[in-house]
Amino acid sequence: MLNSIMKTKLFAWVDQRTGADAIIKSQLTEYAVPKNLNYMWNFGSLALLVLVLQILTGIFLAMYYKPSAAFTSGGYTVAFDSVERIMRDVNFGWLIRYMHAVGASAFFFVVYMHIGRGLYYGSYKGPRELLWIIGVVILLIMQGAAFFGYLLPWGQMSFWGATVITNLFGALPVIGEYLQQVLRGGFAVGDPTLNRFFSLHYLFPLLLAAIVGGHVHALHVVHSNNPEGIDVHNAEEKINFHPYYTVKDAFGVGVFLLFYCYIVFFNPQMGGFFIEVDNYVPANNLQTPPHIAPVWYLTPWYTILRSFPDKLLGVVAMGASLGILFLLPFLDRSKVRSSRYRPIFRQMVVLFFVTVIILGYCGHSAPTPTLKLVGQIATAYYFAFFILLLFLPKFEKTKPLPDHI
Amino acid sequence: MKWMKVFLAAMAVPAMLFASGTAFANEGGVALKPVEVDPADQAQIRRGLTVFTEVCMGCHSAKYVTYKGLIDYPEIAITREQADELRGDKPLAAGMITDLSPEDATVSYGKVPPDLSLITSARRGGAKYVYSILTGFEHDPHGKVPDGNFNEYFPGHRIAMPDPLGWLDHDKSDEAELLQQAQDVSAFLTFISDPHQNERRHIGMFVMGFLLLLTLVLYLLKREVWKDVKH
Repeated sequence: MLNSIMKTKLFAWVDQRTGADAIIKSQLTEYAVPKNLNYMWNFGSLALLVLVLQILTGIFLAMYYKPSAAFTSGGYTVAFDSVERIMRDVNFGWLIRYMHAVGASAFFFVVYMHIGRGLYYGSYKGPRELLWIIGVVILLIMQGAAFFGYLLPWGQMSFWGATVITNLFGALPVIGEYLQQVLRGGFAVGDPTLNRFFSLHYLFPLLLAAIVGGHVHALHVVHSNNPEGIDVHNAEEKINFHPYYTVKDAFGVGVFLLFYCYIVFFNPQMGGFFIEVDNYVPANNLQTPPHIAPVWYLTPWYTILRSFPDKLLGVVAMGASLGILFLLPFLDRSKVRSSRYRPIFRQMVVLFFVTVIILGYCGHSAPTPTLKLVGQIATAYYFAFFILLLFLPKFEKTKPLPDHI
Repeated sequence: MKWMKVFLAAMAVPAMLFASGTAFANEGGVALKPVEVDPADQAQIRRGLTVFTEVCMGCHSAKYVTYKGLIDYPEIAITREQADELRGDKPLAAGMITDLSPEDATVSYGKVPPDLSLITSARRGGAKYVYSILTGFEHDPHGKVPDGNFNEYFPGHRIAMPDPLGWLDHDKSDEAELLQQAQDVSAFLTFISDPHQNERRHIGMFVMGFLLLLTLVLYLLKREVWKDVKH
């Protein structure tokens, strides 16, 4: 189909003025990709799909949502009322809002799978260091966007989650208090906070869209890694992105949508994991919920924060746990990329994945002394993983690499 | 297929955590009483509406449910005349607001009764929680909390709501009737917490059917396109 479009006169007219023909060839129909990518490579295109879904549903939600913490009746506010209006009175508002709320969790799920794949197969190693670093920037902006968005319904967990997180900034020396007040637009989370968070929640996806463009561009310069983790020079071992990977990605989209739509239509709250029970209670600054926890995708970092008795130390550790991802390509000096040929790294990285899941579980649950200890051990391994990578090439005996894929 | 094993192992952990997490969803409290509610059962929801307007609305509101909604939602679909009778002189587009003012409520009960529009979404256990509270009034075994304020299922056991259905010291002959009322109003509250839920599940069946077909076609297309790629 693409071929017949590219033969039309209209396309020739556009091509003369934009160079569309060269772009399509270099980025799609003649963009060479290793032929052995497995289904773990589908999560990149899925992340792009969910980003587009989030932006589209978000645009429609913003047409009806009102960012105001002014009280109406029954302890509810204008913001909470507007969300319920979307759920009850706007035509298919329930669908758009559930798509957006489930989409946030889906976005993090596919992105975490995407990052996990990059870790396992060494996709962060040269020449893809910058590609990885741009990806970490995307992760940070996503987390910011999710955090801002979670305040908007102005429920109990929105309010107290934002209070706890903005409090963290207050722990920083010198600028902490100022930063906290700038974020809140006052001394406590209130109406000004809601307004600026709404503005930032609209801004961050625009940044995401731009930086994702940079991520894809960087990928298309250095080309995809592959499960063997070796450079592919032989033209016979490569296939063109279109139609091979477009159709494979399309199949992946089908499978993804099956899961996504099942949750949206049959279990949108996901038992309180995607939309928390406490967030159906309107925000009340006089009543702290018994247990405050962020949504599941932020809980691993929340556990790292809670694992330190000193608040400032916790904040620094949480920052470091994300910041250290930037350094990963430079910490791991092994010449071999894929875990398939790195027996020790393979066990370390699988343990790392399990650790992050354990951290997530600890952060989600109400704190107990046992869970706190488990969280601290997990935190220790989280950092140890990166430090050990520095010394790993000295004692790891890698397996011989194949000549071709 | 090594990655497959890793992937499945990685998926198994959150699945197990999720399962254990839901089992202890009602942390710290007593296990809630099980109850069957069907948010698509019109007769049950209508009976629940009656309990709601005659008992609950004495103190509680459901501000997000309008009298017009009671006519329009196919799950309730009462007649215009019935709606007029319920609303009195309130507008048809008004929410179901109790006549008890917040000030009077504070004087009588010490606090303002919560709005019930979202109560089954806003409490762990949902309908089971509402049902358990309504049929959970007991005499305080320690004799500290006055009768009508001791509830086995309420966190801390001391509840400001004084036994709305008259559960405490009820006659055995009334038990079935009271259980029925509690069940019906739980169904009604489950329905109004998300009034498009039946429509959502209905549409969802078609969406899933379509996606299954689409994914199958895409899979076959992928296999066709890829068949000349040698591994």
